[in-house]
Amino acid sequence: MRRDLYQMASALLLCFLILGTAVQAAGDSSGTTLKIGTPSTVKSASILGDTNMGVFAHLSNPTLMKMTSDGKVVGLTAKSAEVSEDGKTWRFLIKDDLFWSDGEKLTPEDVKFTFDYLAKNDPAADWMSTTIESISIDNGAVVFKLNKPYSRLSLEFATYPILDKRLWENIEKPIEYTNEGEMPGFGPFYIAKTDLGAGVIYFKKNPYWKGTQPKFDSIEIHTYSNIDVLSLALQKGDVDAYYKYGWMSYPYASIQRLKDTGNFDFVETDNTGMIFLGMNLKNEPMSDLSFRKAVSYALNYSEMLKLDALGYGQVPNAGFVPPSMAYFKETPRLEYNLTKAKEILADAGYKDSNGDGILEGKDGKDIKLNFLARTDYPRVNELVIGYLKDLGIECDEKSVDSSTWIKQKDAYGYDLTITRSTPWGMLMHANWGTGYFDSRRTGAGVLHVLDDPAFQKLCDDIMASTSDSQLEDYAAEVQDYYAENLPGIALYWNKVETPYNKAFDGWYSDPLYGIFNVDNFLSVEKTG
Amino acid sequence: MSIAGKKIGRYLFALFLIFSMNFIIPRAMPGDPLTNLLGEDVALTDSTVELLRSEMGLDKPWSEQYIDYWWGILHLDLGYSYHLHSAVSTILLSRIKWTLMLSLPSVVLGALLGTFMGALAGWKRRSARRKMEASSFLMIYCTPPFFLSLMCLYIFSFRLGLFPLKGFYSTGSPIDIIHHLLLPVLVMTLFSSSRNYMIMRGSVLQEKCNLYAAFARAKGLYDEEILFRHIFKNALLPIITMLALDFGFIFSGALFIEIVFSMDGMGNLIYDALMSRDYPVLQGSFLIITVMVVSANLLADILYGHLDPRVSRY
Repeated sequence: MRRDLYQMASALLLCFLILGTAVQAAGDSSGTTLKIGTPSTVKSASILGDTNMGVFAHLSNPTLMKMTSDGKVVGLTAKSAEVSEDGKTWRFLIKDDLFWSDGEKLTPEDVKFTFDYLAKNDPAADWMSTTIESISIDNGAVVFKLNKPYSRLSLEFATYPILDKRLWENIEKPIEYTNEGEMPGFGPFYIAKTDLGAGVIYFKKNPYWKGTQPKFDSIEIHTYSNIDVLSLALQKGDVDAYYKYGWMSYPYASIQRLKDTGNFDFVETDNTGMIFLGMNLKNEPMSDLSFRKAVSYALNYSEMLKLDALGYGQVPNAGFVPPSMAYFKETPRLEYNLTKAKEILADAGYKDSNGDGILEGKDGKDIKLNFLARTDYPRVNELVIGYLKDLGIECDEKSVDSSTWIKQKDAYGYDLTITRSTPWGMLMHANWGTGYFDSRRTGAGVLHVLDDPAFQKLCDDIMASTSDSQLEDYAAEVQDYYAENLPGIALYWNKVETPYNKAFDGWYSDPLYGIFNVDNFLSVEKTG
Repeated sequence: MSIAGKKIGRYLFALFLIFSMNFIIPRAMPGDPLTNLLGEDVALTDSTVELLRSEMGLDKPWSEQYIDYWWGILHLDLGYSYHLHSAVSTILLSRIKWTLMLSLPSVVLGALLGTFMGALAGWKRRSARRKMEASSFLMIYCTPPFFLSLMCLYIFSFRLGLFPLKGFYSTGSPIDIIHHLLLPVLVMTLFSSSRNYMIMRGSVLQEKCNLYAAFARAKGLYDEEILFRHIFKNALLPIITMLALDFGFIFSGALFIEIVFSMDGMGNLIYDALMSRDYPVLQGSFLIITVMVVSANLLADILYGHLDPRVSRY
């Protein structure tokens, strides 16, 4: 009887294996579908409520403007954009060859509706209600009248998807609206289905798209909860390329394995975001410039680059802003020099009089800093704490998750922290990372530690300026300010490595959304 | 008061206490559902924050929120998740369906396999085959779940290409769903059976030294009769406790398996809700787990009484 049982079990296992192979074979239908694998999981099919879904929806609901690979902001849904001399009137001429996937024409009315609607209903766009006075339509153009000059309007409009008035005007709370089925889009593709159980967003070609024709009938976004499995999926051919918004690069430690297969190439770009050391300037001794300078000399940038980014990047400058941003200015490169760091501290009055290896602050007590460590960056946390120890500064590390970190830093419950800036984060507010430091902005991922009137005036001037040459000057001023005052210290400037299967070519990346932009999906084609 | 009445009273009190804890614990963590609602790139104005807090009921004092919480439970209204943009009951129903398909077969198979093989291993522990079997199960039992899941996925899905790498399904047909679930269920069964195997083996080893086993042998009963007619029933008690816990936590999902196989089950739901401080989802999930754990314990209590009548006296 026992032998029968074993035989039955073996037969059952064999059946399962055959079934597995058969189902696998049946699923191998490549067609003309481009498959993107991403660790950015979608939690709900809400294009305004789910951050990742919102990024993916740019393919079906393009933004009014877009960013080019060299960081310039140009029209996408708009044919052109003009701004009045006083910076208070913006005119966006809308393209007249855009059609929704059901054949209806996209009109300036849709664009006007989108911004009226977002200003009124989307908490993420609440700045619009305090900045935009009126929106009107004039000869195929949408005209925005502002109550103050705002140079960054066109850049802001590179992030909000244009909505279908017919659908959205009946939806009262946009961030609560979910739709797992088909959604009309006017981009080259539209969302055919969002299948959260399967972890796939299906895009189909918009039959009414009049621009450059995409080389694929459909695009699929496959989400993976585990990056190691996503790597296997790439190698196995389940997905053709990798994408992630925010910290966009493919894990550096897995790059070699992909290279070894001989089937992958990489789109390599400079990251606009970065990991940086943030300091609570409201507390002593961080409020002391000499102390910040000493800290900047105490960090071994090359080692951090080597250990945390495996050399994919470069040692940053004191000017914080990475070279991938527009109007980058060359400021002094950050340098590791422990002796110099100690000298600066000694000159500034920080001494170890009791010989316990820990420096004393100006109040005579040992310097013991509250180091708020985000669990996302364990290696750099450990390294930086080690460097500070070498300098004679003790840190009390408190490792926290994202929500606790936000709560703690908003309450200024820390001395030092390591956090990251995203590409959009670097562009928000007055551009060039100002949004992370200006104390007038609170919440989310920003540190809001700089209340220096000179810095805040500079931010206001940038936001009011509409002249390119003037902006370039201001950008240089901001970078000089960072270099001189060190409100934050970049730990390294890294590369964004986006792997793709060599069977596909024509990849195009922009500094804001990487390869997830309309131009890329019109340009990529299958070669092999 | 009768013993049954006392037991029911005890369980009801436990339910009240745990439900109250379910309300307090999420709120004791730093932050609230609004902290990271729109991601780190979006800074909200103070007026918008106030408006959203009021919409979510977070501006009310804890006492009022606690009354609202109980009002919701008594009216079977689990609230609304601002992070997942849906009623909590809808979210839970959709996740539970998949979680059950993943957990139930592995709990049942793991119980049957582990108990049966563990009993045989305890009975004939000196046989070379049983020794090898015990070593293998011990090895599985000691392997971190995340590692074993990844290894199985690497071998069977990536190298041999027998199973898909992720998700509950691709097309949604019954065969496709079975195909997707087979490997994760097998991995979970391995874990569950290895644990049950070790417990049952130890339990049988202990029971077979008792006098009643020697008496059964003296009566001239065959080995299998002694094991399955006399020892098995007594050795089963610790397994019943474990099974009651397994069934209790059947809706809590299997986080590691769900992460490795990219499955949106209850484990991932609870983890994400914890990270984003999604109180309604946390409360709803904990409520279901609480009811299941308490019910399973009640059932185990009754079963214990049947298997060992001495227990009913207490």
